[in-house]
Parts: sequence; C-alpha cells; structure tokens
Amino acid sequence: MKFVANVDFNGGQLRPLDESDVDAIVKIYQKQTLAGQSEDAIKEHAERMITLSVQMAATQRGLMWAIDVDGQMLGMLSLYDWQPTSLKTVMRLDTLPELSQALQVDALRTGIEYLSKKYHLRNFSFQCLPQGDESVIAVIQTVGFEQQARLRDFRRISQTEYSDILVFNKIVEPAEAVSLEGEQA
Amino acid sequence: MNWNLNTENYYIRFANEHDIPSIYELLGSNNVVKNHPKNPMAVEAQAMDEARRMVMQFEAKEAAFWLVEEKTTGKVIARISLQKFNWINASGQLKIEIFSEFKTPSILAEMIYAVATLAYEDLSLHRLEWMLMAEDAEFIDAAKTFGFNHDGQLLSYFEFEGAWIDYQVFSLLKTDSSWQQAIKNHGFSESI
Repeated sequence: MKFVANVDFNGGQLRPLDESDVDAIVKIYQKQTLAGQSEDAIKEHAERMITLSVQMAATQRGLMWAIDVDGQMLGMLSLYDWQPTSLKTVMRLDTLPELSQALQVDALRTGIEYLSKKYHLRNFSFQCLPQGDESVIAVIQTVGFEQQARLRDFRRISQTEYSDILVFNKIVEPAEAVSLEGEQA
Repeated sequence: MNWNLNTENYYIRFANEHDIPSIYELLGSNNVVKNHPKNPMAVEAQAMDEARRMVMQFEAKEAAFWLVEEKTTGKVIARISLQKFNWINASGQLKIEIFSEFKTPSILAEMIYAVATLAYEDLSLHRLEWMLMAEDAEFIDAAKTFGFNHDGQLLSYFEFEGAWIDYQVFSLLKTDSSWQQAIKNHGFSESI
C-alpha cells in the first residue's frame, strides 16, 4: 500500500523516498554529520530514514518527500509531529545548493496545498535556528510563513549550551484550501 | 530526593487516595479550568481517573503533579504541575489550576518558587515554559512580575469547542537574572 503520494509542482515532483535515495540523502545531510561519525553509519542512518518515512506516513505521524528535479533528488520536504486531530504539523526543508530558491518555493507551496486538501491540515509550522537557517527562512517567508515566537534556549546543542528556536507559522483556512482546489481544476 | 515541598503557608505535595474529592472539587470548577481550556469535571470518577494518570505520568518521567494544601485550613487550593519533561533539552512546562480567590501574586509566587527551585536544582532543568491564554490576565501579570519572558505565541495549538486556541509562551531560564535574583531573595518579587 502506498502511503506517500507523488505530487507534481512547477519544475519537479514531490515523491516518496525509495532505496535508491540513500546516496542523495547522505549528501543532503552531510553538512550535519557529527564529528567521528563513519560513512557506513551515515549510510545506515539514511536507510533507516527511508524505512521510517513509510512507517511515519502509515501512522500519520509524519511524512517525507524527496524533491525531484529532472530525475535527480535535490532535497527533502518532511513533516514531523503531524497531529491529525489538531490539523497541524511541523515541517522541515532540506536541500542541496543545486535546488534554486524558486523551485523550493514551488515545492513547498504545492506540498502545503496538497496536505491542506487531502488531509485538511491547516496549521503548518517550521522551527528554525536563528543562525544557519537563513536560506530556509527566506523560502518559507516567501510562501507566507510568519515568525510567531522565539523560544529561548529551546534546543540543547551541547552539555552546557542551548540555542533559541524561531517558530514560523502559516495557517491555511478551509476556504483558502477550497479556492486553491478551484484554481487547479 | 524529596518531592513533597514545604513552604511558609503551604504543603505542596503529591496526591494520595484521600484527595479524590479535593481534585474533583478543584477541577470541577469552571473558573479553575476555563483558561486551560477544558471542561470542568462532571462526576467524581473523572477525578479518580485523573489521579491515576498523574501517577502514571510521573512513573513514566513525563510529568510531576502536586496539590497545594493550605496549612491553616487543610484545604487543597490548587494543583501545580511540571509537564512534558524534555530531558534532552532540559525543559518542562509549568501548569497551575487554582481557585480564583487564591489566584494572587503572593500565593502564586510562593508555590511557583518552590516548584521552580526543585526543577532547576534537583531535576537540573534549564528552561521552564508557561503557556497561557491571552485572556488569563492574572496568570499573565504574574508571569511578567516574576520575570518570565514572553517568547511569542503558538497559533491554533488545538481546538476547543469549535474555536482554535492560541497560547502565549512565557519562559524562565535557570540563567535568567530574574531567577538568580529570586534565589538571592529566597522568593519572587511580587511587584515589577
């Protein structure tokens, strides 16, 4: 049974992860590799992520899409902490430098439209770091996300250090979702 | 580690089987629960269930709940809890359910200081957050008075009776000057 749909956007496609994506996932997450982590371990994590992506989608706890452009995986658009009862989810956008900002915007916009129509999700949020996430912040603001909170020392980054987290939200009202559906028909 | 706290005017203690009527009286009051928001309890069996859940969440290291008993009268005036412990990020959420006549800065200062001391000193937490509805003026005033920072808001956090609920997020860090000052003074200042 397929739990993650293929969704076309202008210039590419959102599609489920599959086993052939291991190398691309490693590349996307390379920048976050922990010191001392072996290449084998990183590959193993990528394989685990692919398995997890199916389990998450099957139980509606999350979802992971590969962002595909011309047959190449250039990023991932993911949902975490998906709460179907509260119609909300936290999102994450991880991309390679080759994926232009315009394509990221289209991919994100299309993903949100799909999720609001298919699952009636209305509350989308991103949690970003104040330093290092500037490019993601530029993309999500273009799509209409607004910063609502700066949670002080919300994430621990070492035994003694913490980082603030910026919370961005976009609320899609049902009427908006319906009109988006009308536009596409 | 002693989880039962003893302040000047209150026993801030874990619940026992004799507390069911008190829990029911407290959480059956609409004034107590309306800004959380939730519906008041309608039958005592709900209090029994709540007491069980308090124990289960504590045993799972997810939360800790205390009843606040007035020393002079023996009346349970409030429940204070630390919920959603995040042991990786060293944080927890403060929640207070209190009869409106006791919702005063001096009483809140006494109970929050006791629980925050345990959170920072014994549990080694770094961040306490207090999520409040904008309508809850007394708690918001207290949060500001005690030096909690307004971090912003979490929109449409959940739905209650057909309305989407926004939460205002307040935080107090172990390293905040307001907390350091409270330690020096052995309590929060009750005015800004």
